[in-house]
Amino acid sequence: MLQIRHITKSFPSVRALDDVSVDFAPGEVHAIVGENGAGKSTLNKIICGIYTPDAGEVRLDGATIHLHAYKDALDRKINLVSQEIQVIPKSTVAENIMLDKLDRYLAGGRIDWRRINADAARYAEMVDLTAPVTQPVAVLSAAQKQLIMIARALSSDARILIMDEPTSALTRHETDNLLQLLRRIKGEGVTVIFVSHKLEEVLAVADRVSVLRDGSLIGTQPIARLTKEQIVQMMIGRDARTLGLGALTVDAGPPVLEARGISQTGRFHNVSFALHRGEILGFYGLVGSGRTELAQILIGEDRKDGGEVYIEGKRANIQSMADSLFKYRMGYVSENRKEKGLILSAPIQTNIAITVWERLRDRFGSIRLAAETATARDFMQKLEIRATDPGQTVGSLSGGNQQKVSIAKWLAAHCDILIIDEPTIGVDIGAKEYIHQLIWNLAKVEGKSIILISSDMPEIVNLARRILVFKDFAIVGEVRNNGENGAPVRGYDEVSKEIGQYLA
Amino acid sequence: MTQREVKLLARQTNQRGGVGSALRGILRRSDTSVVIATLILFILFSFSNSSFLTPFNLFNMSRTASLYVMVALGQAIVIVIGHMNLSLGAIGGLTVVVAGWCMDTMGWSPWVAAPLALLIGTLCGMFNGFIIVKSRLNSFIVTLASLFIFTGLVQGISQGFPYSNIPKEFTMMGRNDLMGVPFLFIFVVIVLIVLGYVFKYRIVGRRLLATGGNLEAARLSGIRTDNIILLAHTLSGVFAATAGLLWVSRMGSAQPSTGTDWLIVSFAVAIIGGTALNGGEFSALGILASAIMLTLIKNGLIMLNVNVYFEQTFLGVIVLLAVSVESIRMALSNRSRRSQVKSTA
Ligand SMILES: Nc1ncnc2c1ncn2[C@@H]1O[C@H](COP(=O)(O)OP(=O)(O)OP(=O)(O)O)[C@@H](O)[C@H]1O
Ligand SMILES: [Mg+2]
Repeated sequence: MLQIRHITKSFPSVRALDDVSVDFAPGEVHAIVGENGAGKSTLNKIICGIYTPDAGEVRLDGATIHLHAYKDALDRKINLVSQEIQVIPKSTVAENIMLDKLDRYLAGGRIDWRRINADAARYAEMVDLTAPVTQPVAVLSAAQKQLIMIARALSSDARILIMDEPTSALTRHETDNLLQLLRRIKGEGVTVIFVSHKLEEVLAVADRVSVLRDGSLIGTQPIARLTKEQIVQMMIGRDARTLGLGALTVDAGPPVLEARGISQTGRFHNVSFALHRGEILGFYGLVGSGRTELAQILIGEDRKDGGEVYIEGKRANIQSMADSLFKYRMGYVSENRKEKGLILSAPIQTNIAITVWERLRDRFGSIRLAAETATARDFMQKLEIRATDPGQTVGSLSGGNQQKVSIAKWLAAHCDILIIDEPTIGVDIGAKEYIHQLIWNLAKVEGKSIILISSDMPEIVNLARRILVFKDFAIVGEVRNNGENGAPVRGYDEVSKEIGQYLA
Repeated sequence: MTQREVKLLARQTNQRGGVGSALRGILRRSDTSVVIATLILFILFSFSNSSFLTPFNLFNMSRTASLYVMVALGQAIVIVIGHMNLSLGAIGGLTVVVAGWCMDTMGWSPWVAAPLALLIGTLCGMFNGFIIVKSRLNSFIVTLASLFIFTGLVQGISQGFPYSNIPKEFTMMGRNDLMGVPFLFIFVVIVLIVLGYVFKYRIVGRRLLATGGNLEAARLSGIRTDNIILLAHTLSGVFAATAGLLWVSRMGSAQPSTGTDWLIVSFAVAIIGGTALNGGEFSALGILASAIMLTLIKNGLIMLNVNVYFEQTFLGVIVLLAVSVESIRMALSNRSRRSQVKSTA
């Protein structure tokens, strides 16, 4: 059994953990919750030997252990699914799943690829990963990569399994499946440490929950004694607000963006849809159903083999993101902040202002540094980005705070059309509400047109009044929830049920 | 909400201001160690050797340092985007040979020769960039190949013979001075100031840095990264060609062997000067300081009567040292920030 005792850990700019002690029992799912930057990932990394604590100790079976690298943790059957996606892009799905145990497949100095592929396929199926195991992972979506990491952890018969926001990019389907798996392995005596910002999942799967706030442990409680509201109260020290977003009046005129008969060999066949001014159009579907891929085509980052995109009624010629942004004022918030959204080595201000440098120039064409800092500060305050100053490098922020930077840069960009792919991956409740409010205001107040790709059902039902359901690279259904004046006419349960029907 | 904001603000203000923060800022800079090291070396040499601070020695050293800066810029501008240019010296050599051929063999005026040579160098850089962008091969392979292409041209055109008939007006730049400060040095400082400004204040400079920081993210932020890559390599050619011309101007003759030793110098000066090897960082001050430092060391070795044939060994050792110092600096800057947090917490 695993115990942590009086763990303290400081980083250059902040004390991430302050005298934290928790006991983890065998055969329990132990959830750790807290706001962005509360110290959850730091705690996990300490248990796994990735960080060494400044003070305190980690005990396993009553004895203090000193881990110096993740390898040491693996040797003790402690396994981590990290919050950040960690896969080797050029290797296949199977190699990535079996990454930490390739040596088990050595036969006479050679690696037995056939057996690796066969075993990997079993785990891929277990987590509902549909991509073939011999495919390189570079082309897969963030969610599929997440599934690979889960499969990797599951296949290594760990006795302590740490999952740091494993479901952040997953849809309900894969998530339910994962929770089911967790219940099963817990029955086998495994300790599961589960970090998530989605409290529904925590309530559904956890036995006990520990709450961190600003690096301190607020408490550990059996889940049976807690309600969602109480957990939130412990996390943020106040009650959560519920957001009644109300009506969204959509411009009845001709569409702002229209896709007509988009085709891409082997994937899309004749896909069409329209987006109106002031609308939030939802794209929902299972992982790998083609939502992000369609967005890539729209912004010119992937080629299409047929069909046309019309913007403001005119045929658009978009060959790159630069065309999309500068010719048509269409932005794209990537789902994959680490690889595609952020320059981790650069300061926050650079990352936020990168899309608006043109606007920040003085009459000699120089970027006004003060204006750049001010822009960054503005968003840091609005989105509650936890950092010492706008000059801090993005790489040293917690995952959720990085996500906020990644979305802030597009909120700053003043686009007419914004494609937002998974805006709240890893973002805590408070900031999530705020991001929802911002997206809503963009459409409602500023009349921007928004495509919202999200795997978070409550999020998409809450924000979008029209939802396109994707399956196997096709739009299989359209769910409407806009009555008179664009007010929602149906409740969450009804809408989500209808979406579910299209996916069945 | 408001309560949390107040706390957040308190957290932030806690960590700003004061001597600690100034020190942290300095330690955080990538060029601090090289500037300090250069100053120390300079002081050491001034005391230990009476012939060091003579106008003649300073004049010569600053001219050498200036050429080093120019060569290093050719490398730094591509390191900034995470690339490298192995053909840098060959482009320099080709420029030298073209300039020599124009002035000596053809007898043309420097006003024709210099622009023509510069154009050739620029085209060489552009060629590298174009192939890299179109073929999607990495810069190592492409510039390795072009190193051979350009070197072959140098040898083919010159047949290995130097051009010594260089007009006086052309050597002005490399040999004359303004109130004791060599033209070369003034020129290079101006170039550095302009570059420092461009990287900090101009969009194009920022785009170069962003592309080096994360190519994908830069492209998805609307930056035409292919153009940026082409630009960086073209500029690398421009700097290499400029360095070549200045070299001729200083030597008073055009040697086909010019540039053969630029590779190690260019990397040494750029890296020691704080240009992050994996891209995204540039320091004009650092490059100036590290060029001066290398010149000082070279000068010192000569004064100490060390066998000059070992020069490259020393350069290599210094590069290794610089990289280690860099990691020590990181650790130190972390420690100082940490202790400060503890004291305020
Ligand atoms: N490598 C690092 N360097 C500097 N600061 C760091 C580093 N890693 C984490 N921090 C800081 O430590 C604090 C805790 O970060 P941590 O990643 O543990 O948060 P978290 O609870 O996992 O948040 P999230 O929900 O956003 O993932 C944050 O303020 C973060 O900025
Ligand atoms: Mg985290």
